[in-house]
Amino acid sequence: MALRELKIGASGVRGVVGDALTPELIVNFACAFGTWCDGGPVVIARDTRRSSTAFRAAVVSGLLSTGCRVIDLGVSPSPLLSFAIRDLGASGGIAITGSHNDASWNALKFFGPDGALLNAAKSEELLDIYHGAAFDLATWDRLKPVETASDIEERYLGYLASALDADPIRERGFRVAVDFTNGACGALASRFLESLRCTLLPVNAEPTGDFAHPPAPTAANMRQIASLARCFGADLGAALNVDGDRIGFVTGEGTALSEEYSLPLVAAPRLRRRPGPVVTSYSTSGMVEALARSHGQRVTRGPVGESQIVDLGLAEGAVLAGEGSGGVAVLPLGVAYDGLLALGLVLEEMATCGRSLAELAGGLPRLFMRKRELPCPPNVVYRVLERFRRHHAGDAPDCTDGVRLSWDDAWLHVRASGTEPLLRIIAEAPTQERAEALVDEAAVFARRVTFGHEGS
Amino acid sequence: MQQPLSLKIGPSGVRGVIGESLTPQLVTSFAAAFGTYCGAGPILVGTDTRPSGEMVKQAAIAGLLSVGCTPVDAGIVPLPALMFHVREVGAFGGISVSGSHGSPAWNALRFISSEGLALRANQAAELTDLYHQGFYPRVRAPDMSDVRTDTTSSTRHLTAVARAVDVERVRARRFTVATDAGGGAASVPTLRLLEALGCNVVSVDADAEAAVPARPEPDEASLAELGDLVRRSGADVGFAQDADADRVLVVDEQGVPLGPDATVVLVVQRWLERKAGPVVVNASTSRMVDDVAARLTCPVHRSRVGEAHVIEAMKEHGAEVGGEGDGGAIVLPVNPCRDSFAAIAVILESMAASGRSVGALRAQVPRYSMVRERLLCSARDIAPSLRLIKSLFSGEQIDLTDGVKVTWPDRWLLARPSATEPVIRLAAEAPTEAEARSLVNSVLEVLSPGA
Repeated sequence: MALRELKIGASGVRGVVGDALTPELIVNFACAFGTWCDGGPVVIARDTRRSSTAFRAAVVSGLLSTGCRVIDLGVSPSPLLSFAIRDLGASGGIAITGSHNDASWNALKFFGPDGALLNAAKSEELLDIYHGAAFDLATWDRLKPVETASDIEERYLGYLASALDADPIRERGFRVAVDFTNGACGALASRFLESLRCTLLPVNAEPTGDFAHPPAPTAANMRQIASLARCFGADLGAALNVDGDRIGFVTGEGTALSEEYSLPLVAAPRLRRRPGPVVTSYSTSGMVEALARSHGQRVTRGPVGESQIVDLGLAEGAVLAGEGSGGVAVLPLGVAYDGLLALGLVLEEMATCGRSLAELAGGLPRLFMRKRELPCPPNVVYRVLERFRRHHAGDAPDCTDGVRLSWDDAWLHVRASGTEPLLRIIAEAPTQERAEALVDEAAVFARRVTFGHEGS
Repeated sequence: MQQPLSLKIGPSGVRGVIGESLTPQLVTSFAAAFGTYCGAGPILVGTDTRPSGEMVKQAAIAGLLSVGCTPVDAGIVPLPALMFHVREVGAFGGISVSGSHGSPAWNALRFISSEGLALRANQAAELTDLYHQGFYPRVRAPDMSDVRTDTTSSTRHLTAVARAVDVERVRARRFTVATDAGGGAASVPTLRLLEALGCNVVSVDADAEAAVPARPEPDEASLAELGDLVRRSGADVGFAQDADADRVLVVDEQGVPLGPDATVVLVVQRWLERKAGPVVVNASTSRMVDDVAARLTCPVHRSRVGEAHVIEAMKEHGAEVGGEGDGGAIVLPVNPCRDSFAAIAVILESMAASGRSVGALRAQVPRYSMVRERLLCSARDIAPSLRLIKSLFSGEQIDLTDGVKVTWPDRWLLARPSATEPVIRLAAEAPTEAEARSLVNSVLEVLSPGA
């Protein structure tokens, strides 16, 4: 079946480069965003993908045509873009990055003047402008040249340092191995770790956009960094995704932790220094709940996706918001997922507690999570969810984002991917068997509906 | 539906108003169509100094990358230099982002073929057809190329221009030359050329290298200013170029503008002195060219108006020199396009070789008066209007190569549709201005009564 490889939604516009994601579409979105920003200054950054150069040109052209001042950070991580929007007092920002998607994809992520991804209401405004195609095009005498921001990296590094208790880290002189996934973070991260007096073993640091492995920081994609961290005798290993918003960790012994660990590992130092509520998604491991409980704090869950989680976090007055994908935002200091800040906080925790990463991870409750993805075309996926909802009507399903069923010690979440034509099924339970059983049941049900011979 | 008068997609490219019709969407799609037409190879992209140049250039780059081409950013560059560069390096094509002589609100894409020529009529029609079909196969991410930068266009081009003239002879004269590049793409390269020719340069612009657009094409006021500068500085000649530097107007040593037709007349005269041969000019160019060529017993052929038509006819007739009466001279062995740099070099060589002033060179040719008018005319009214004009002159000698041209022994009248704007262009040449004016008025009275 031919799928339209394009998604326009809360996470911006995302698709397969080629006949689906065309420069004309990008120009239209840039014009819509420039109109939404009312011709104000807009900061842009891109990742290392080859297609990002083409889309950067399309974005620049669209923004200039609406009279915006364009401040181009070049190849830069998304969290730096978020910082720069606030630091420069810009009206918004666009990150040109396929983020965790493979190299054939690319996307635009839209940030508002507060430095956060557009929330649902703002996204709707942007989409209304896009669909109406009534762009505020500027006359020739209102067009401005493209600018750069010269010392923004220094100011961002200063901000990271201020968010950390850096001295204990400096005293320890950690050995850190980082896999940059040939993305946008290499140069910035080495300056950051240098400022923390860490010794860096960089892996896949060339910003080529030719990814050595799939870019999401999952355990499976961290095999290379895991074995290198062990050989290098590292205190800690980490993998950043292409635009630096997600991070996964590897112990010094060479065990790749699931990206589910990133949020609870960061939560420990954050909640110790700044107690407050935590926000996470319906699909994220319960480990963070156990950790928050031990600090006397509550966890609120919301729909999957950075824009919704950060937005909910700001509304709840949370001090931390993040997800099982390895994205963590340290609210209200930062309002975007920031892999480098997460790395700094985990180093801080190791330094102040004097414990290894394996020990910190071992201190978290042992839960088993199972995830499965089923290819599911957009015209079928919502029918699957509706049938599943009816099937479990007696189990008090939470229908905010797909279907979520929860029991005292386990939960099951079935939802349509926000970024790809997939059905995502996730379950977590105290035993592997129980988690697997929950996922299997949902997967069999979904297949029956998809292939048209469901029972109910 | 209202037809926007601000957009023109035609043989000389895509021309429109910034903020209205020349949108980044349109530019991206047209660039994708052009990239598809040329094939997945290097395409040079250059701009003039207009503020909208960057926006249009980035849209063109995005469109080219999407179909697998490698855009080569040539920066701010005169059109003739960009065309030369395309041919010399064997690029698959070129896009010049320049509003040329249009007002600053306008900008345009002009497409350059792999031979370094403006697209021929059939090529332009094929490109427009591709655009209208809207099918440009996009490449997937792994096959996407990257942007390159190459700002050597002017150096390459000026080397070739200098090779075509007797540099030592010009240098020996140590001419003082007044320039007005209008803050256009020629600003810096013109200084370089005149330096190479040993000239002392005085410029209208306080900072000649600043290249901030002052005016898109030489007008009465700017020519008067240049004439003033010539008189004050005692310059031997003044040159005024347009924004993309394909055309140049000449001011004589008295500070008097010689008129737009003088450029091609002076260039043709010098080139035929060096090497006799056929000449091609367009239907709207002054009879002075015929007089110059007749003295050297060289034939003159007339083509349709438009650079591409002139060049095609030059090739057909084996002409080395020719051009158009708007200040656009073509010296085929140097560069097969209207080239203000080649014109300047040849005119200076003519002054050096003859030992005469530019005013004296011009005075060798009989004087006619030319009157030009433009008549706003929506696209659907153009054909009926031309039929009406033709009927006005039934019984006279009429040529329909390009619009309607009526010729008498010592005068002519031309009415033709513009290729760049929704207007009918009128031109008449006669021994006196009153006679030329009355020819034009005879048409205006019928087509726009009361105006």
